[in-house]
Amino acid sequence: MALLDIEQLSVSFDTDEGTFPAVSDLSLTLEEGEVLGIVGESGSGKSVTMLAMMGLLPFNARVKASRFHFAGQDMQTLSDRARRRLTGNDIAMIFQEPSTSLNPSFTIGFQLLEAIKAHEGGGRRQRRERAIELLDQVGIPAPAKRLSDYPHQLSGGMNQRVMIAMAIACNPRLLIADEPTTALDVTIQAQILDLLLRLQEERGMGMILITHDMGVVAGAAKRVAVMYAGQLMETGTSHDVFREPAHPYTGALLNALPERHPGTTRLPTIPGVVPGINDRPQGCLFHPRCAHAQKDCRASRPALEAIHAETGLGTRHVRCYHPLNEEVLEIAP
Amino acid sequence: MSRPDILDKSLLDAPLMEARDLVQTYQVRQGFLRRAELHAVRGVSFTLHGGETLAVVGESGCGKSTLARMLTLVEPPSSGTLSVGGHDAANPDRQTMAALRRDVQMVFQNPYGSLNPRKRIGTILEEPLVINTSTPADERRRMAQDMLARVGLRPEHYDRYPHMFSGGQRQRIAVARALMLRPRVLVLDEPVSALDVSVQAQVLNLLNDLQEEFGLAYLFISHDLSVVRHVADNVMVMYLGRPVEVGSREALFETPRHPYTQALLSATPSVNPDEQRHRIALSGELPSPLSPPSGCAFHRRCPHARPECADRRPELREVGGAQVACHFAEELMVARESGAA
Repeated sequence: MALLDIEQLSVSFDTDEGTFPAVSDLSLTLEEGEVLGIVGESGSGKSVTMLAMMGLLPFNARVKASRFHFAGQDMQTLSDRARRRLTGNDIAMIFQEPSTSLNPSFTIGFQLLEAIKAHEGGGRRQRRERAIELLDQVGIPAPAKRLSDYPHQLSGGMNQRVMIAMAIACNPRLLIADEPTTALDVTIQAQILDLLLRLQEERGMGMILITHDMGVVAGAAKRVAVMYAGQLMETGTSHDVFREPAHPYTGALLNALPERHPGTTRLPTIPGVVPGINDRPQGCLFHPRCAHAQKDCRASRPALEAIHAETGLGTRHVRCYHPLNEEVLEIAP
Repeated sequence: MSRPDILDKSLLDAPLMEARDLVQTYQVRQGFLRRAELHAVRGVSFTLHGGETLAVVGESGCGKSTLARMLTLVEPPSSGTLSVGGHDAANPDRQTMAALRRDVQMVFQNPYGSLNPRKRIGTILEEPLVINTSTPADERRRMAQDMLARVGLRPEHYDRYPHMFSGGQRQRIAVARALMLRPRVLVLDEPVSALDVSVQAQVLNLLNDLQEEFGLAYLFISHDLSVVRHVADNVMVMYLGRPVEVGSREALFETPRHPYTQALLSATPSVNPDEQRHRIALSGELPSPLSPPSGCAFHRRCPHARPECADRRPELREVGGAQVACHFAEELMVARESGAA
């Protein structure tokens, strides 16, 4: 049984200008102990999807799904209380800015102990020992001394380690990491990614890694989902997707990376911008920016369909009437 | 054009900006009556010609931003010499200072923070002209609209406010503002790191076009090595205030000589599944510039460190066509090549 099973999730926001569909028709599954990468540009709906899962969306959000199961439980029929207990214990989340996620007025120890107290209980001394053990597990040197430090006394990388310690404090089955390394330096980013993957493997946690950096996903996740304007455009193993993108959007994104064009001065770009509330096109959401758009792309919205079956890591899906094939990909700028 | 001399060929051959042994030291307080010296930048030298891009690479605390402040003449260096277009910019008199400031302009990382949300785009673009020149209003307006067109925006954007633009468009506006005074040198501090990939490519293309059109020299500060590889002619890698490796883009990316450069390169994630190369894991944090390690500042994190590295600080020296500050650069290069073969 899949740890996470979502079918046709949609999230929309009621705004003054009308209803904005932030996520539509999103189906995802995640097995126990699997790492899934979600990539997409700003406004693609990747964070909203995760916040919906955690029940952390503001009041003007409407969440609908034909199926929304976590660990066999239907999240839609659970009472708020039961749901909070579930998401609190079994799903943990870490965010992009470690220095703003932590409260600057309290010590690391206080904040960590608070999380432990809420979920595990136990005596004062026991909790303290557990906190030290957690800090040690995330690679913080001299953990007992660090407990009395404030967030500003630690570097960004160390703060992110504290956040990770808090996230794994209650042994979650699913860890959602929303741009966990974006604010960090390159060498520290590598350390944090290694730490996350090590913890994930040791504990057999499922992990969803949300990022805009395709390089990070390629190195960390076996399976990847590409989002655009609130829809999944393509899913598959990261090896396949990055080597041979099937959706023109994935192809164009990869093509815009400087690392793909050594020695050239001009980079291929994607014309236009991500559609906003008032300019969502008919048909495929990407067609106004797509170099391969045809008549049918403008007429109706394609569904996410399986294309040629792949290896044991699940099939490959793409939302496109005219998926790219190898010949098309060979055409460089 | 008020200053046609920028495009003068003879001027392009002379360096636009030259720095020798720039040092910036700050006095910081550490509690009551305790003072300490913080060496933010030590011993930075480079020469920058028109049409050239020098990329400065490094992590937090390596002195990139301090360097940018010195080069844009916001802070005079504690010691060392800096010249812009042949004039002394380290200790200029007020008049020269005012003139030189027009020659060096800056683009900041975050286009959401660097544009005043209460001012219209036109006002933002004209502000440098109002402050530094006596251009009449109608002329200023024409120049601002010209510049909008140059950076790929439309004339009607002149009357809009920053919040009406996307991140990429705002960065275009920031670039346009920097170019209003027709500078010769642009200091770009992480200009694309806040942007999405597709927009990043657009802005990089724009910067490239503008450099060709105006013969600009760029000092491009970035931590993203794939972007640096794309834009730079020369690269300077800094660690804790000092350059540890300086060389041409080819030299640096083909055969990185300093262990820090090698680690940085290996830590940069790549989407190419075949290029998931062996990562050199650096242990430990960046040291504090207030208490730099003895000897080579990198020795505590260096996978090749030897006892000598803690005692003696390596000077920047020529090794096979690039400059590197490492005692064992030659050995490491040989080991790397035989390891790769």
